[in-house]
Amino acid sequence: MTRPLVELRAVSKQFGTVRALDGVDFSVQRCEIRGLLGENGAGKSTLMKVLYGLYAPDSGEVRVDGEPVHIASPRDSIDLGIGMVHQVSTLVPEFNAVENIMMGGEGDSFTLPVAAVERRIRELSDDFGLEFPLDAKVKGVSAGVKQKIEIVRALYRGARLLILDEPTTSLVESEFVQLLESLKRLVTRGVTVIFITHKMREVMEACDSVTVMRKGRVQSSLGRGEMTKERLVKLMFLERDIDITDSALPNVTVKPTKRSARPLLELDTVGAPGLHDLSFHVHGGEIVGVAAVSGNGERELAEIIVHPRNITSGEIRVDGASVNGLSTLDVFAWGVAFTPEDRVHEGVLNDGSIVENTLLGHHGEARFVSHRGFVRWNAVRQATRSVISEYNVDTPDETLAIRRLSGGNMQKSIIGRAFVSDPRVLVTHNPTSGLDISTVEFIFERLVRMRTEGGAVLWISEDLDELMILSDRIVVLHGGSIAGEFDRDRFDKVAIGLKMIGG
Amino acid sequence: MGDIKRKFARGVLIYGVSIGLSLALVLAVLALLGYDVGRAFTTLFFTSFRSAFGFRETIKKAIPLMFTTYAFTIPFMIKFFNIGGWGQMLFGGTAVTVVSLLLAPVGLPAIVLVPMLLVVGMAAGALPAGVAGWLKARHDINPIISTIMLNFVAFYTVNLAATADRFKDPTAGHPITIPLPAAATLGTWWGIPQSILGAVAAVVFVHLLLERTRLGYEIRAVGYNENAARTYGINFEKTILFTFLLSGALAGLGGTFEVMNIHGKLIEGFAKTSGAQYGILGILTSLVVAGNPLSVPVAAFFMSVLLVGADSLQRVMQVPVEMVFVSQAVIVMSVVVLRTRLSGKGR
Repeated sequence: MTRPLVELRAVSKQFGTVRALDGVDFSVQRCEIRGLLGENGAGKSTLMKVLYGLYAPDSGEVRVDGEPVHIASPRDSIDLGIGMVHQVSTLVPEFNAVENIMMGGEGDSFTLPVAAVERRIRELSDDFGLEFPLDAKVKGVSAGVKQKIEIVRALYRGARLLILDEPTTSLVESEFVQLLESLKRLVTRGVTVIFITHKMREVMEACDSVTVMRKGRVQSSLGRGEMTKERLVKLMFLERDIDITDSALPNVTVKPTKRSARPLLELDTVGAPGLHDLSFHVHGGEIVGVAAVSGNGERELAEIIVHPRNITSGEIRVDGASVNGLSTLDVFAWGVAFTPEDRVHEGVLNDGSIVENTLLGHHGEARFVSHRGFVRWNAVRQATRSVISEYNVDTPDETLAIRRLSGGNMQKSIIGRAFVSDPRVLVTHNPTSGLDISTVEFIFERLVRMRTEGGAVLWISEDLDELMILSDRIVVLHGGSIAGEFDRDRFDKVAIGLKMIGG
Repeated sequence: MGDIKRKFARGVLIYGVSIGLSLALVLAVLALLGYDVGRAFTTLFFTSFRSAFGFRETIKKAIPLMFTTYAFTIPFMIKFFNIGGWGQMLFGGTAVTVVSLLLAPVGLPAIVLVPMLLVVGMAAGALPAGVAGWLKARHDINPIISTIMLNFVAFYTVNLAATADRFKDPTAGHPITIPLPAAATLGTWWGIPQSILGAVAAVVFVHLLLERTRLGYEIRAVGYNENAARTYGINFEKTILFTFLLSGALAGLGGTFEVMNIHGKLIEGFAKTSGAQYGILGILTSLVVAGNPLSVPVAAFFMSVLLVGADSLQRVMQVPVEMVFVSQAVIVMSVVVLRTRLSGKGR
């Protein structure tokens, strides 16, 4: 074996009381695509941020080309030929691709060699199949294009090692195939790729070798020949006795229930900005999944149900009554509850206490607010305490600022809040994204319980695997229209996936 | 409860260090200039408490300052800047002057006139602030700009009223109106202006509104996270409008009290103390409490202690009053920096 390109030895990193990395040894050979696999919170991103100079390790050593190096900042790692593409775009939205790529690198204070830079960018994108418009402002382009720009930027700065953090999060299927193609070309030209992911399939399709992490430690590294799904799943979830099926999914059984005769939520040829002629319904005792690749009207769908004033045509009915023209609070009063997609930005009052957060959305209910407009804080506190105990929200008490909760606990309190007033209809958007498997399981069980008790659940998600476990039906949204509807006995991943990407 | 204790300890640390720092700076400068530092220190901090006069002066300054501090603090809860507290104060004072002078021939008794004037003053303050709020809510015009512009309007409205033939005091060499009818003025109790009652009522009202009512909750919710508030059915535009109306009404009430209780007439440039406008001082004071409306009365009182101390320093030791503005500015900056550092947001 030749000397590895990059080697991390016994690297540890602690955040507060959490051991994010615990004596990690990790090395990468030249010219391979190395998968870095693990659950959320396994330490993948932290490890790579140490390598990229964003975090200083508490102990341990980094070697590049066999030489010990000190990486104090991304500037150092770029000089060593390491480039990183983050999960969230770091491009300047108001700049075009060329301006973004040359930012911080080219020319002196007074000149900008734009033509030369453009030439070089074109060469790189032609070579590796990473085409994108050079002069369009970045804010207008898709996530896939942004990613290409970021990869070219890293290459432009001379990256020999490219770290991709969850690169497929916002890509559609065709973009994933393209990305894979480009990565393979990069490897033949001497670039090494580290591919951070928690998706089994991507590892199997993209990677020459894989390192599996769990709870801040490296479980094992496997070569191409040794990789099997069963083995990888075992490594990812060692002590958990879960079914070794397709991937890491919670084990929740869904018993048949009797669905209500009348639908609790109906959309009747609803049109709105970004949505065309949507018609479907959700009965009581039913979970209906909405499958969509992000950006196909799923946000608008969630929004139109809780903000029905924006409807331009058609009608939304809750338990038979039209909600067109109602305010959000009136919709809630009709028995609809909602959990938004982005829990930090839309779901919580960050600096507010858990108590204040519990009131959000219930601040029109007589139970919590007197008719003179005074808040009954005692009742709110009591409701908060029951949410905390019933949903196992891990917090010292209910006065804690909600931003200090972990993602999972924050989401549990959001879900708990949705159920405070026994809704008949729940609209929930990506409730499990970024959560560990036990929390996902908890949320699944709550949804199933609502179904058992006769409630209607509309569950919008881009994770088809998850949708297929729980849904009684799946409605596929593509381009703001319904592209297909599948009953549970006709669930077929390929067929549904195809509809999602417009096939 | 651990959270609350930690917050308290943090507060003590922040304010202790900030006040200590600014005091050290001021005293060091005074020492360099050859002043008696010990005397300067006691003058600055204890003038307010050593004589009845000092204490009355402190209260007199604290009342208007508290109102302009509220005027900045309440919209600041939802991250908007009301720079127009001063102008709203002027509007309030002008309106009560004009109305009471116009009604003078009618001879209304104080019991009718005073409450009516208070309402007029609050409405007159709320009006320009409401315009700024409406411009933001409806047309997305930055309130910083609109409130600053409205300050100019307010200033010249005072001039207009104070120089109008009908109202002006012909013997004065400065734009000043004739005195208000006696029924339109407020008296003092042991030298303390009766407007103290209005100030206390305002504190109670603001406190109850923000802490106990749905409206107050909605304001705080928007301040915490505008997106989440909207998502869960809080009307953002309505909240903006309401906070501006409220802050304008409070500033207007401050101006009303100044005219009715302190000057008894409208004087150009009346909303000032020790040469600084109450509007600017209110912004300064609000920054000290970082937009926490519950601490406003305490902060306004503390700043007034410094202002009275400063006046006294100037009188007794010939130390320029500006020295104290410097120290207040240092306190504000130090508080802001420490708070950012300690909350971990500064990294």
